[in-house]
Amino acid sequence: MTNEITYNIPASLAAAFRGRKVIVRSPDAAEIVASVTAEDLGNISYIKLLSLDGEMDSLKTWGPTIPVELAVTDPYRDLPLLYRYAPLLAGHPIRVSVPLVTGFGNVVKLAVSLNFAVKMEGGQPEESLADELQRIARFYLHQPMVSEPIEFFHSLFLAFFRRAPVTLWTIQEEDPSLVSYITDRGEETMPGRLAGVAVKEMFSTFVRELRDALAAEEGECAGCEFLMHCLGYFKWPCREYRCDAVKALMLTLRCAAEELRADIDSFQTRGGGART
Amino acid sequence: MTGSDFSLIMLPTLACNADCEYCFENKTAQYLTLGQFAVLLEKVMDFLDSEHIGRLSIYWQGGEVMTLPPEWFEQANIIVRQSTLARKKEVVNYIQSNMIGYTGKWNRALEEMFGNSVGSSMDFPNLHRRLAGGGPEQYEALWVRKVKEAGEAGIRVSVIAIPNEKTLEMGAERFYSRFADELGITEFQVNTPFPGGRSNWVKDGYPLDAERLGRFLLDLAKVWMERGFGKGVKVGPFDMLMEYFTHGQKEFLCIWQDNCVNGFVCIDPQGHVSQCDCWAASYAGFRFGNIFDSPGLSHILRSSEARRRLQERPGMLIQREDCIECAYLGICHGGCPVRAFTVQGDLYRKDPYCSVYQVLFEGMEKLAASRTRRAAVAS
Repeated sequence: MTNEITYNIPASLAAAFRGRKVIVRSPDAAEIVASVTAEDLGNISYIKLLSLDGEMDSLKTWGPTIPVELAVTDPYRDLPLLYRYAPLLAGHPIRVSVPLVTGFGNVVKLAVSLNFAVKMEGGQPEESLADELQRIARFYLHQPMVSEPIEFFHSLFLAFFRRAPVTLWTIQEEDPSLVSYITDRGEETMPGRLAGVAVKEMFSTFVRELRDALAAEEGECAGCEFLMHCLGYFKWPCREYRCDAVKALMLTLRCAAEELRADIDSFQTRGGGART
Repeated sequence: MTGSDFSLIMLPTLACNADCEYCFENKTAQYLTLGQFAVLLEKVMDFLDSEHIGRLSIYWQGGEVMTLPPEWFEQANIIVRQSTLARKKEVVNYIQSNMIGYTGKWNRALEEMFGNSVGSSMDFPNLHRRLAGGGPEQYEALWVRKVKEAGEAGIRVSVIAIPNEKTLEMGAERFYSRFADELGITEFQVNTPFPGGRSNWVKDGYPLDAERLGRFLLDLAKVWMERGFGKGVKVGPFDMLMEYFTHGQKEFLCIWQDNCVNGFVCIDPQGHVSQCDCWAASYAGFRFGNIFDSPGLSHILRSSEARRRLQERPGMLIQREDCIECAYLGICHGGCPVRAFTVQGDLYRKDPYCSVYQVLFEGMEKLAASRTRRAAVAS
């Protein structure tokens, strides 16, 4: 059985990818609305607005329930603009993607406050962000007002909790065997940070080969307790990247997941309900 | 603005039969004719159609609505029903009245249009609500009599109360007893006072002392939890906060929306569109436009500079104030713009009762957690 590839396409190529599973992106909401026909809606995983500056009124009454991703590129500049999109929630689930750069924590916090889901992007966060990442992880784990997923924390936490072999490449939608990125010129490349590695033969095997290569080296990955979930995610593109901060982060999430498991097991032992 | 719900604060008159010292409205004798209301409602319905909104809540306020004859509302209700039918919308009407003008002649309109439910206002102790030339005691005695008469006619009266210095002195227990026990009011809400409209010696005392007000509110929440919660007594905003901290349900007062601009507008008897009644009658510079002079409500909302300033406010607060650091950002977003403006003269400041809200949120969170723990142990 093979997984269906999802194509991350520019809105201008919507017609060319008709019938295939797509993520439609554009800086302009009106372009998406104009490019996508009613029969395309069923094949859209979500639409991605690459700029928060433009008008979004056209989305208010368009494609009800189609998820919308808002791409924050500059946390300081884009932070106040998130409020403009709150009315869209009446018709669409909303997720904010934010790069792991200075100021990302405020974006996460405001997005969650507005009931938006969050996806943090960027696999090699700078050392200076370590404290902020830990702070946001604690916010995700312990702040009662958090009711929407903050990725990659959320799926990783669930993977630890369920002891499921979910990988960061999949969580971050960067597994080339699942997602393909189509450039504005129509060229097919790998998704996310792998963009530019345009060797089609490698698509299905890239992640496995990267993991095997890293595991075979005498480096940080050899024997790493998180390799099952990471598969070298944090070692791309720079293999010399030190994982201390991200390992501490994963440990925080795993400890919380194990604590929850223990609590539920204890509850069940005392005659409570079944784990779901 | 889109979605299945929209609210209209409808001010059919700005005339009032009372002369309350802290009122934020500049009164006029103007009222809306039924013909004007029909035109106005069609324009609101056009807007709902364009935004794919299916449900409209109309909050009828004043001035004092009962300075209009009840027949006016009976006719207005026919207009609403006809429009609802033609536009395939759901409309729910609410009424806010001081009840001073209530007589049995209102019963039919209250039943048919408002489901035998009226929102009213009274303070404890009542210091500032009065009739023109009269005193607060006279006003309160009349109000109590009218509420009693309404109750006997099967009309439920809920109450909004504004605390004052004496309220804080007398304490939460006495306050709760006055409404719940002595007056038999099973639904009341505490709002914070602000110095809107023309200034006077009463408004010069606003905002109230944050520490004392915060303590009073938290004490009142505890009294309600002990004596009224789960026993049919609703006290706002504690009931909403308890629901949020227990079940995550975000249904809050207008002051705690992510942006009140997204959910409602207010229209006064001259057709001026504003954000809410707090702006409508005293701040002409904050009007969005006039519904009678404009192609439609959508046009007004799209083109209004005053509305744009209000829309920008939460985003500005995130950059200028410390809201982003607050654990309760998701249920406050900087609070009420009119409170900020009337106290600090600047729309882009957070609500002056910020510290009161924080004390209240934290206290309610603890009360909810404590109640949940007790419920878990009991089960």
